[in-house]
Amino acid sequence: MATTEPDVDWHGDDSSVNHLRGRAFEATCLAATAFGLVSVLLLLLFVANDAFRPLSADGGWLLTYAATVLAPLAALAVYYYRLDEPAGEVAYVTSGLPVVGVLLTGGFAVMFIELLSILEWFALVTSLVAAGGLIVAHGRLRPNAALERLVVLFGAPVVTVLGTPPAQFNWLVTDLAAALGVDFGLYHRVISLREVLLRLPYVPTNWLLLLGTLVAPLAVAGGVFIARRRDSRRAGFAVVGATLVGALAGLVTGPALGIGYGGWMLLVAFVALPVGIYVEGVVRRREGVRGLAFPVIAVLGVAVGSVVVDAAGFAGPDSWLDWGFLTSATSRTAADAGIYPAMVGSIMMIIVIVLATFPVGVGAAIYLEEYAPSEGPMGKFVTLVEINIGNLAGVPSVVYGLLGLALFIRIVQWPQGSIVVAGLAVGLLILPIVIISAQEAIRSVPDSFRQASYGMGATRWQTIRQVVLPEALPGILTGTILALGRAIGETAPLLMIGAAASVRLAPNGFFDVASMMPRQIYSWSSELEPAFRHGVLAAGVITLLAVLLVMNATAIVIRNRYQRE
Amino acid sequence: MSAETPEPDITSRPHGRAARERMYRYVLLLCAALSILVTISIVALLARDAITFFTLVNPLDFFGGTEFLLSRNVYGLLPLLSGTLLVTVISALIALPTGVAAAVYLSEYASDRMRSVLKPGLEVLAGIPTVVYGIFALVYVTPFLRTIGLPVNTFNILSPSIMVGIMIIPMVSSLSEDAMSSVPDSLRRAGYGMGATKFEVTTGVVLPAAASGIFSSFILALSRAIGETMIVVVAAGSQPRMLNLAEPLQNLWQGFQPMTAAMVQINSADSVSQLGFSSMFAIGLTLFAITFLLNLVSNRIAARYREEYE
Repeated sequence: MATTEPDVDWHGDDSSVNHLRGRAFEATCLAATAFGLVSVLLLLLFVANDAFRPLSADGGWLLTYAATVLAPLAALAVYYYRLDEPAGEVAYVTSGLPVVGVLLTGGFAVMFIELLSILEWFALVTSLVAAGGLIVAHGRLRPNAALERLVVLFGAPVVTVLGTPPAQFNWLVTDLAAALGVDFGLYHRVISLREVLLRLPYVPTNWLLLLGTLVAPLAVAGGVFIARRRDSRRAGFAVVGATLVGALAGLVTGPALGIGYGGWMLLVAFVALPVGIYVEGVVRRREGVRGLAFPVIAVLGVAVGSVVVDAAGFAGPDSWLDWGFLTSATSRTAADAGIYPAMVGSIMMIIVIVLATFPVGVGAAIYLEEYAPSEGPMGKFVTLVEINIGNLAGVPSVVYGLLGLALFIRIVQWPQGSIVVAGLAVGLLILPIVIISAQEAIRSVPDSFRQASYGMGATRWQTIRQVVLPEALPGILTGTILALGRAIGETAPLLMIGAAASVRLAPNGFFDVASMMPRQIYSWSSELEPAFRHGVLAAGVITLLAVLLVMNATAIVIRNRYQRE
Repeated sequence: MSAETPEPDITSRPHGRAARERMYRYVLLLCAALSILVTISIVALLARDAITFFTLVNPLDFFGGTEFLLSRNVYGLLPLLSGTLLVTVISALIALPTGVAAAVYLSEYASDRMRSVLKPGLEVLAGIPTVVYGIFALVYVTPFLRTIGLPVNTFNILSPSIMVGIMIIPMVSSLSEDAMSSVPDSLRRAGYGMGATKFEVTTGVVLPAAASGIFSSFILALSRAIGETMIVVVAAGSQPRMLNLAEPLQNLWQGFQPMTAAMVQINSADSVSQLGFSSMFAIGLTLFAITFLLNLVSNRIAARYREEYE
């Protein structure tokens, strides 16, 4: 190789390299990437067309809204994309935040209408706070009595929320006692603080309860956030005061608008408060202020458009997906069919899933990442657990349905098709996904954080609770929300555990038989009438996908906000 | 750290703290061990009814039977297996080449901007609920196949299989892309150094080097296709049928009933005998065994390629 003379023969040919083959290959690969996306996009367009039927509207209606809403917004979007990216993000968040807030409002409204009265909510929240208070107080007073604390940890909720088991679980206690050779049974129930509150002879009016247990805590949370960010207690108090006054205004304005004071208060707490805080921050930072124009122009455009449409008398589209669809039950006639009871069923199922999988999943992830030894017999066990979790994530969903059927219905004897059974079966299905994503989030916390905490003399649990978990929380939340998105669309387990094909009334207890959104959609898919097949079915699909879209967008926003740091 | 404060006692531990730490450890261990419990209960509960089934039906008749008729208590697995096989093969024909090509594009050709759009886009495909894919197949794809002149029935195996294929593209592409990006750059540079073009490096160096990862993604995708339920329940019909080997094309236009769909149908049937009910668990156990094995194999292969380049 050390020769200086170029006496090496050139073995290549002198013609230039042919690029055609490479180009063709690249284009083929790009086409393959786009194939799935484009075909699903086309299918979605067909479904959306069936659900909204935009072509059934007058041409004037379409043109008006295109001119007042679509054109300005499209122009703004191009402007943000090209020239002002921070403003684009502000526009994205300020448009998305109200949507999430309205959905939350809807969720709570449904809960108050179907599940529990405001008084019951008040009793539940108060007794949960009391339980938390007891546990914290015990920790302060006797910081070193660890085993006593365990008793308090499990005893406090029993005293305040649950009470002793109701009569239908008496057999559990008596059987257990009989097995131990004692004749003992809880023949008289000891009721909890929650039930005491429910039986109070005098209770404040509903609006006061709602203000105190829902609006006020959120207002205080917002106030604390602002007080910290601006380092000013006055600002914090201003936020709390403004929120409370705004909510109280609902006593007058709510009924006038036809949403009642409850609807108004929920909107203030879930929409006005977060949007206000976000907008204030944007204005203060002077970053991307132009993004605020987007929602303003959207609202203005809709307002102007509706005035013009009214004046000119253009008819809107005869959409299948409308308010009636979202608020009524299914029906034999396509025009009256709606998805409301199934939506309530899905919401309640999600509550069960969150309660059942989040603590267990995060706990398992913490063990696997923070405690698990890598050697010895325990190390082998942990490897087995890890492999097993990976495999469980690949078990078909229909098998989980079969597990739910065999375990919860045939052995535990819970009612077939009830929400608890559905929630637990689907919960087991997403448990591996929750564990794996929580593990990733915990793994991404730098080790130096842990070392610093240990260096301060913190124990392992203190390190986990005060350092690792707060750092990993955004990641854990993102993963959990994505897993819940998967859960909300799962259908096969629901079929196996016998969820109702169609219900006319929304469930109002967790042991009620219910239908869920995907189950209802599946029922509609076997209707042969075109009005169902190309109307109701499409509207149901769009509703389900819209819920999924909002959940996934929330997860992505959380991830993006915290990944940067 | 002023002089008058007494030296803090940093060596002793408060009473009970060690016990508390141990307790948290055990509670968390319990959470982790729950996953093992889930696996055990799946196997145990499925096996319980499956064993009842196999005491009444000869396993040879079950695994070798060519007829599945609930009403006459004839339980042969082969017709259901035919449906599953067709779905798997057709969806693999769509998803495997497409997925690998997408992975090649994303890992070797795409600009950062393109990747930031296409990658989440592909993941959306895996996030769409399967019942929605089923409705796509039944309401939109089957009529479309008719308009382009294919003689498909209302319920046919072709359109759900196409949808399953599209659904599993992201599984293939994301795992294969991981495998390709973990091929060290030094290999690529060595290829370029030899005067190879980008095409030659991609097909001659990167793809072979990532082969085991790609292969493991294939197996995982197949396992997903085998276990897919809602798409075939909605769009493939409820007629168990044997593969027509004499005229293979005829199979595509007809409805089949894969294993998963049969389980759903047995469960929702109005009057089903005790034997029929336990046959559902036998099918479920078979399905579980197949997918579990495939997943294990896939993980093994994937672990091997990770070792290779670390």
